[in-house]
Amino acid sequence: MTTVKILGSGCANCRKLEAAAREAAAAAGVDAEFVKVTDMKAIMAYDILSTPGLVIDDKLVSSGRIPTRAEIQGWLAA
Amino acid sequence: MQALLQSLQGGGGNLAAYLAAHVLLCLLPAFAIAGAMTALIPKASITRWLGRSTPARVSYPAAAAAGSLLAVCSCTIVPLFAGIYKKGAGLGPAVTFLFFAPAGNVLALSYTGSILGAEFAVARVVLCLAFGIGIGLLMAMLFRRDDAVHDARTDALFAARERIGAAPAGVLLALVAVLVAGTLKVAPLQAAWASVDLPLGWAPAWQAQLAAWVPFDASKGEEGVSVQGSLLIVLLVSIGVAAWRGLENIVEGANRWTWAALALVAATLLVATTQWRVHAQGVELAFTGRSLAVAAALGAVAAYARRLEADAFGAWLWESWRFVKQIFGLLVVGVFLVGVIRQWIRPEWVQALAGRNDLLANATAVLFGVFMYFPTLVEVPVAHMFLDLGMHRGPLLAYLMADPELSLQSVLMVAAILGRAKTAAYVGLVAVFSVVAGLVFGAWVDGVSPWWLALGLAAFGAVLAGALAWLNARRAEAAPAT
Repeated sequence: MTTVKILGSGCANCRKLEAAAREAAAAAGVDAEFVKVTDMKAIMAYDILSTPGLVIDDKLVSSGRIPTRAEIQGWLAA
Repeated sequence: MQALLQSLQGGGGNLAAYLAAHVLLCLLPAFAIAGAMTALIPKASITRWLGRSTPARVSYPAAAAAGSLLAVCSCTIVPLFAGIYKKGAGLGPAVTFLFFAPAGNVLALSYTGSILGAEFAVARVVLCLAFGIGIGLLMAMLFRRDDAVHDARTDALFAARERIGAAPAGVLLALVAVLVAGTLKVAPLQAAWASVDLPLGWAPAWQAQLAAWVPFDASKGEEGVSVQGSLLIVLLVSIGVAAWRGLENIVEGANRWTWAALALVAATLLVATTQWRVHAQGVELAFTGRSLAVAAALGAVAAYARRLEADAFGAWLWESWRFVKQIFGLLVVGVFLVGVIRQWIRPEWVQALAGRNDLLANATAVLFGVFMYFPTLVEVPVAHMFLDLGMHRGPLLAYLMADPELSLQSVLMVAAILGRAKTAAYVGLVAVFSVVAGLVFGAWVDGVSPWWLALGLAAFGAVLAGALAWLNARRAEAAPAT
C-alpha cells in the first residue's frame, strides 16, 4: 500500500496536483492512499520552499510545480 | 427602482470602460510575465541568498527581490515566508519579503502605473522597498533575542544553486518589452504613421447604441465604450473560451485551442495599439508607433518561446492562465462594485476627509486601508475612484501602502507563524510607515523641495532610532545581563 501526500494549503495548484496523482495511480494500477497535508508546520517539516509538494511513501519527489502524469507514474513504480 | 438601475449602470459602465480601455496592454503582458517568473525563474537562483549564513546587506535586498520576482501568489508567499523565517536568514528578511511582495510584484506595479500614473508606481516601489527593508531591520532589532533561538537546522534548504537559462531569460525580457511598448506614454509610440479607411457603414449607429447602453459623464471622469472597445471585449471573451479548452490541461501538452488562444492574445494586443476614429461613412483605422513596437516585441516573445523546452513552455502558460483565473475574476467583480459604490459617494465627503495632505488625512487613509479588505489588485481601481473624487495624492499613497500590506490574509498569516506580539509590532510599524510615506509623497506632489523632505525623513529616522535605544535600555534594566 503506497501513501501519497499532497502538501499545500488548498490553492488551485494543489487540487490540480491531487487530480494528476489520482489519475496516475489509477493508470498505473497502484493501490494508494491519498493524504492532504494543509497544516503549515507539517508542510515545513518537509523542507520545501513552495507548494504544491508531492510526497510518496514519505519521500519528497517534487515541489513548487505540477509534474506530468507520466512522471508521477514513474515515481509510483520506483 | 431608478436608484437600483443607476447603480447597475454605473457598475456595468465602469467595468466595460476598464475592459475596453485601460487594462489590456498592461494586464495581458503582466499576467504572462507573472506566469513566466513563477514557472521559468528557478527559485534557487534567488533563495540561495537567503540562507542563515548570509550577511544582512545581501539578505535584505535578496528578500525584496524574492518578493518582487517569485511571489505573486499566496502559494509561494506562505511557505517562502515561513522558510526564510524559520530556516533561513531570520525574522528581518522574512518581514521585508512579506512587506514587499504585494506591492513590488509585476502585476501590482504595472497595473498601478497604467491606471494611476507612472509617478504612483515609482513612489510605490521606491517607498515600499525602503520601508520594507526598514521595517524588516526594526523587527529584527526589536525581537533580537527571540530571533537567536529559532530552529537551528542546517540551511541546506537555501544552499541549492541554479541559473536562469538563455531561452527563459529571453522570453522574460521580450515580455517586459511588450509591456513597456504597450504602456509607455511617449510621442513616437503615440503618433500615427499610416491609416486605412474601413467602409463600415454601421459604425456610427453602433457607437450611438454603445453610448446609450453605457451613458457617461466626462466631467465626472467617467469613460464610455468605443467601437474599438466593443471589439476588444469580444476578443477578450473569445480568449477566455479558447483558453478554457486550450490551457486548462496544458501540463499534458498543447492542443489546437492553445494556439488559437495565443493567436487571439496577440491579435487583441495589436488591436489595442491602433487608433479608431468613427465618421459618417465608417471607421478610420490608424496604426501607431506602438503597433510596430508591440508587434516587434511579440515576435521576439514567439522566437524565444520556441526555444523553451516543452515542459517549461507548458508550465509558463499554465501559471499565466492560473493567475488570470485567480485574479481576473476578482478584478471584474471589484471594478463592477467600485462603479456601483461610486454613484453614492459624494466628492465633498472625500475632500473633507482627505482632500489635504496632513497627518489626520493620512491616518484616516491608513485606517481605511486596514479595515477594508480588497482582494489582490482591487485596491487600484478603488484608489482611482478616490483620486477622481478629489482625494489628495499623499493620503492616497498612504492608503495604497497600507491596504495590501495589512490585508486580513497577511495579518492572519503573520500571526500564525510569528505569534501575537510580533504581529502587533508589525501592524503598528506598517501603519506608522504608511502615514509617513503618504506625508512625504504628498509633500513632493505639493512641490516641497526635496531637501526639506530628506531632512524630514532623517528626523523620522532619528526619532525611530531614539525610540529603539530607549526600548533596549528599558529591556536591559528589566532583565539584567544573563
